[in-house]
Amino acid sequence: MSLAIEVKGLAKSYGNKTALSGIGFEVGAGSCFGLLGPNGAGKSTTMKILSGLLESDRGTVRLFGKEQRTAADDIKRIVGYVPQSITLYEKLSAYDNLVFFGEMYGVSGAELKRRIADVLERVGLADRAKEAVDRFSGGMKRRINIAAALLHRPKLLIMDEPTVGIDPQSRNHIFEMIRSLRQEGVTVLYSTHYMEEVENLCDRLAIVDRGEVIADGSLGEVLDRFGTKAVYLELEGGREAPKLPGYGEVEPKERGWLLRTDTPLESLAAWAEACKRSRLEAKRLEIVRPSLEDVFLKLTGTTLRDDG
Amino acid sequence: MILSIALKEWKLLIKEKGVFIWLLVMPALFIVLFGTVLGNLGGGTQTLTYIDNDRTAASESLMTALGEQGGFKLEAKQAGELDDQVDRIREGKLGFLLVVPQGFAEKMTAGGDSLAAVELYSDGASDSAAGIRSALQNVATDYREQRLDAALKQAGVGDEAREQALQSPLQIEEKPQNATEGNAVTQVVPGYTVMFVFFVMISMIRRFIGDKTNGMTARLRTTRMKPLHYLLGMWLAYLGVALVQCAVLLGFGHFAYDVALGDLAAIAVLVLMLALCGTGLGLALSMVVRSENQGMAFVQLITMGGAALGGLWFPLEYMPKSMQTISHFLPQYWGQLAFQDIMTRGDHLSGILPSLAVLAAFALAGVLVALLRFRGFMKSAQG
Repeated sequence: MSLAIEVKGLAKSYGNKTALSGIGFEVGAGSCFGLLGPNGAGKSTTMKILSGLLESDRGTVRLFGKEQRTAADDIKRIVGYVPQSITLYEKLSAYDNLVFFGEMYGVSGAELKRRIADVLERVGLADRAKEAVDRFSGGMKRRINIAAALLHRPKLLIMDEPTVGIDPQSRNHIFEMIRSLRQEGVTVLYSTHYMEEVENLCDRLAIVDRGEVIADGSLGEVLDRFGTKAVYLELEGGREAPKLPGYGEVEPKERGWLLRTDTPLESLAAWAEACKRSRLEAKRLEIVRPSLEDVFLKLTGTTLRDDG
Repeated sequence: MILSIALKEWKLLIKEKGVFIWLLVMPALFIVLFGTVLGNLGGGTQTLTYIDNDRTAASESLMTALGEQGGFKLEAKQAGELDDQVDRIREGKLGFLLVVPQGFAEKMTAGGDSLAAVELYSDGASDSAAGIRSALQNVATDYREQRLDAALKQAGVGDEAREQALQSPLQIEEKPQNATEGNAVTQVVPGYTVMFVFFVMISMIRRFIGDKTNGMTARLRTTRMKPLHYLLGMWLAYLGVALVQCAVLLGFGHFAYDVALGDLAAIAVLVLMLALCGTGLGLALSMVVRSENQGMAFVQLITMGGAALGGLWFPLEYMPKSMQTISHFLPQYWGQLAFQDIMTRGDHLSGILPSLAVLAAFALAGVLVALLRFRGFMKSAQG
């Protein structure tokens, strides 16, 4: 598979503050790549460098084989950037906004009209096109915000937290749209705080923290490499689970108990036996698949990160 | 893309009603208000409140003569109201009071050293009695001439000799030099047109800073738009706004107040240069200021200060010499001068070239500053 994005040794500082310190990853053409990280990890800086908004201090970015520093104009033809904030002229109608952005991407005339009709259909707002954006809900604005980046039919769509603060229906619509774009061969770089979005949408992902990639690969690879396997037990009456010396630590979780172990199958059998011996009736006893959120918190810690 | 940006901006401005009020309705209202107020200054009628204690033909003749001077509406009061009227003057409710004392007629006809005095009560805190004082002087001069004429006649001087003797050696020959008679409206219409052209800077700053802070400028940087196109597109948009604004205000002055516009081609070139100047300075400010509030403060300083010192509110001749010198460094002065050259002095394009050159220099300076700062402005817009 050819590469859509090759990032190597990307570094960026703002004064004394290091935002990126040698970040690197690769994204295959036509795939969806998730960029995860706590606030201030360097996701937005990476996105901005990739979209040409910022210049890196060090490192290289190649998009579809083209060096970003030297082929910026060519790259702008094939990259669509959806910023984190809704950047539309709210007094103008959705249609007028799209006309403006289309022309800024170099599309005009009858072709622009056709593409506007197409993107409006994609984002499910064809019947509201003539309304001023300030009359739209947050979800509708988000969808037009995305539509504005699709008018020049980009090969790479860079989406910086595109679903912040929207209703489930709009979010679902955006997911469907991204899946449809991928089927058409569009590569998507998707930054988010929501783990389930990456689990749902992305083939590969990178977890970024303190300006570095601390984990990357497919979802399965990341979970296998960094997730701890576990067995969950829930007893009738909320009783305490029997200890399993030699198998691992038992800790309370939700309404039951969790045993983190490298041998989940053996541990499950041992725990079932222990319950039987102690005449305890198990309500639930199952091997737990590690979640991306568990991995994320394990790698980035649980300390609050408020430095946006 | 330049035109696309300008078109977008015009669409936005049409949706923003506040812009219409600020750029068109407000100046039109100012023209109406100040045109009316200044137009009536000096041309109004004052009430001449008087008490005639003499009640003779001579005192009535005096009041009639004062009435005939023009500008006064006579209002008689009774003798017993003197204290009340004087109190009203002290309270600032009455400008002046003329009292003709008893025995006025007797002293007028007595001859010799006898003088017939009238009493003029006035408010020392205001200059409202200046008109009646001047009218009384005129009437007194007429009386003196009548007395002189009578004395000469009594001495046997013939009619022709008396006429020659009483004729003033000073004659005034009026020779107006301007094509159109100047008045308050010919001052106010171009004055407020020039003043409000510079208010377009407010809209420019709001859009540039707004686009930068809400991430629009950054987003546009990710498109194929050339950064310079953004600057030029915005400039074109507001240049159009300023041109329309001038056309509307001058048209309003012409059709509503019959203000003569003079050479329309010269007016058109002047309006274009004025619009370039206002928007050029607007571009510079938009690139220099760090926030909308800072921009508003600068705009107020430039527009209001420039209007006051540039002679937009009242003729420069009323200002101290030092202020008149300072005004030469302000674009508003040159804009107003050129308008009045065309509208009241009948000048054409060739007559306003110095004003056009100064306005062009201000426009050029503004654009140069904007270009110097533009790269930094765009770079700092990172979303």
